Amino acid sequence: MSSSTTFIGAVEIGTAKTTVLVGEHTGRELAIIGHGECPSRGVIKGSVVDYKAASECTHAALEQAERDAGERIDLVFLAQTGAHLEGFYNEATVNVKAADNMIDADDIRTVCDLAKSKELPAGRMVVHNIRRPFRVDGRLVPALPENLVGQRLEIGYWNVHGQEQRLADNIHVIRGFNLEVRELVLSSLAAGHMVTTPEERQHGVLAIDIGAGTTDFVLYHDGAPHTTGVVPVGGAHLTNDLSIGLRLTDDQAEKLKLRFGRASVMTKDKTQKVWLDGNFAIGDRQFSQQAIEQVTAARAWELLEVVKKKLGNAFTPDTCTSGVVLTGGTAKLGGIAEAAARVFGVPARLGEAPMWVSENLRDPGYHTALGLLYYGVSAQAEKATGSRRRRGFLSGMKRLFANA
Amino acid sequence: MSQPFVNAPQARSWRDIPQPVKPRAMSREGRWRLASSLARVLAGVGVALVVAWGAWQVTAALQENPRLMPAAARTGPVKNFLLKTNAEGVLDAAWLRQKLALPKGATLMELDLQQLRARLLADGQVSVASLTRNFPDTLEVRIAERAPVVRLHAQFANGEERTLLVARDGVVFAGTGFDAARLDELPWLAGIKLARIGGQFALIEGMSAVADLLAQARLEADPLYATWQVVSLARLQSDREIEVRTKPGTVVVFGADGDFALQIAKLDYEWDVLAKLPAPPSKINLALGREVPVTFDAPTTPAPAVGLVTPAPPPLFSLFPNPQPKIKREF
Repeated sequence: MSSSTTFIGAVEIGTAKTTVLVGEHTGRELAIIGHGECPSRGVIKGSVVDYKAASECTHAALEQAERDAGERIDLVFLAQTGAHLEGFYNEATVNVKAADNMIDADDIRTVCDLAKSKELPAGRMVVHNIRRPFRVDGRLVPALPENLVGQRLEIGYWNVHGQEQRLADNIHVIRGFNLEVRELVLSSLAAGHMVTTPEERQHGVLAIDIGAGTTDFVLYHDGAPHTTGVVPVGGAHLTNDLSIGLRLTDDQAEKLKLRFGRASVMTKDKTQKVWLDGNFAIGDRQFSQQAIEQVTAARAWELLEVVKKKLGNAFTPDTCTSGVVLTGGTAKLGGIAEAAARVFGVPARLGEAPMWVSENLRDPGYHTALGLLYYGVSAQAEKATGSRRRRGFLSGMKRLFANA
Repeated sequence: MSQPFVNAPQARSWRDIPQPVKPRAMSREGRWRLASSLARVLAGVGVALVVAWGAWQVTAALQENPRLMPAAARTGPVKNFLLKTNAEGVLDAAWLRQKLALPKGATLMELDLQQLRARLLADGQVSVASLTRNFPDTLEVRIAERAPVVRLHAQFANGEERTLLVARDGVVFAGTGFDAARLDELPWLAGIKLARIGGQFALIEGMSAVADLLAQARLEADPLYATWQVVSLARLQSDREIEVRTKPGTVVVFGADGDFALQIAKLDYEWDVLAKLPAPPSKINLALGREVPVTFDAPTTPAPAVGLVTPAPPPLFSLFPNPQPKIKREF
């Protein structure tokens, strides 16, 4: 085995389950070689509330994944979600300093630093600085504008920040397994990266990852993430509504949701009944299918409406021509794509993993972990390229004289 | 003008969160992993320490008792001298032994190769020298030798007389191992003053021109070259002329800056004509370009008149002055 091979663990500590994928990264290729998962405990709405329980189930999933892969994980990319995550947009503009108006690396660095520099309230920490495309004299530039000619260079950043304690809790769960967290990636970015294509992201697409405890979304414009957000509502709320509305235990409600729940009411006959278990055992009961659908549809619609409301002016059908892509475990709810299409007024579809993903990982519940691996590796590669560029001898000399 | 320094507040990133490993916060699996990681680090450090200790032990043992050293590293007295010289080289291993003068029983590792190299280069016959230790007992010496161009008769203050050789680069050397017949073919060098600098002879200026002339003569007109006895540099500095005295007594003057091939071709042509005359000319001057003045000594009996023009000037060649009056004949 090459010494440059790294075994990366993609860890998603979700409300319902903790998923770990092991990727073998050779520097040029990434192959998924192991998988482990464990029902979550001690996690509510994406936040660790019971450290011991959360550690135990996460470590169990990590151990299972390492066993499956037959290798020890070297580092971890950790998915991050939770209602504590918030985002804001900040932009900056600089005048190009060169006499011939040719943009150089210093201009780019300056404008980026300006756009990223905004003081956060106490106890908040930056999770992501998501860069939007550059603009040179108002003209959109999808790549780095180095060596382009213009007078004004503009850049905007979508800055995602979170509560320090919550972030530290998640990191410490991983450190408890003696592993280093190398990248912290928003769940929405990871899932969105996996279920949307570059063309869709260029034309504008909204990816919604509906998990058990939270719903993460990311809106792409011009090939880059434009807005992200987290709604602390997920599939568990549908189960809870069913449990309360039909006077069932959570397990029974979950069972009914999975079998008969829908995001749009299809059953017209109020008298149509469904059995809870269907085995005619003692305790088996009948419920109105229309009632089940009404409960789940109402909550699913509400959830989608909340997402739309949180997006605000950022979302318009004109800027989201590729529509809505739904993923996450709750995206398996029947009729949810139709509901999303009606709520957002654009086409909607269920997200699918690329064809090279093996059959056992094609379930929407794995999209975040899959995306985590690929997004994390891309981010690392981009960072490495950037640092290599910055370490150049000439640029070093240039900085030396510029600072003199 | 550079951009204003960006001194905006930088928000704290999640990367600022310390990632300490606290055993109490670790699960059983985590503690096991930590322990195994520490064990691996300790094992690595242990191996490194063992290797270092072993190396130190070996070094110490060898210092205390060199006989423990492996055979390859043990060097005995130098037994063989392997001399490699250039194709025209004449020096041999005997000369090498005598020149190096190694103390008896000296081992390869005891030799100061730089000093030995300097010793070899002190002999003017050696232009390049390199020495290599070939374990266990052979000293390999590669040299490049100078080839003699002319020979020189030197008389020293103590009355000693020696024949020396001069190479193309002006280096004067004693000349060891050369075949006597080969040396007899070399013309003598005259018209110079031999000086010593720091125990060695000073370089003789203008030898490259002489070497070119002699090489050209050997190549173009070997019979003519065979008659050349003395090459004089007396007028090289002042008139840029090289004078050659031949066996018949004729002095041939070459222009040092002229084309030697052309001058030798002219001489060859003239010599064919002059050889038919009863008396050889006293001087042929090839240094004047297209004109080739030929001077004859004044005949004791009237010579056949072949364009007598003017009385002969005083003798031009100072090495072997001829007291008899001369006449100049020009063709």
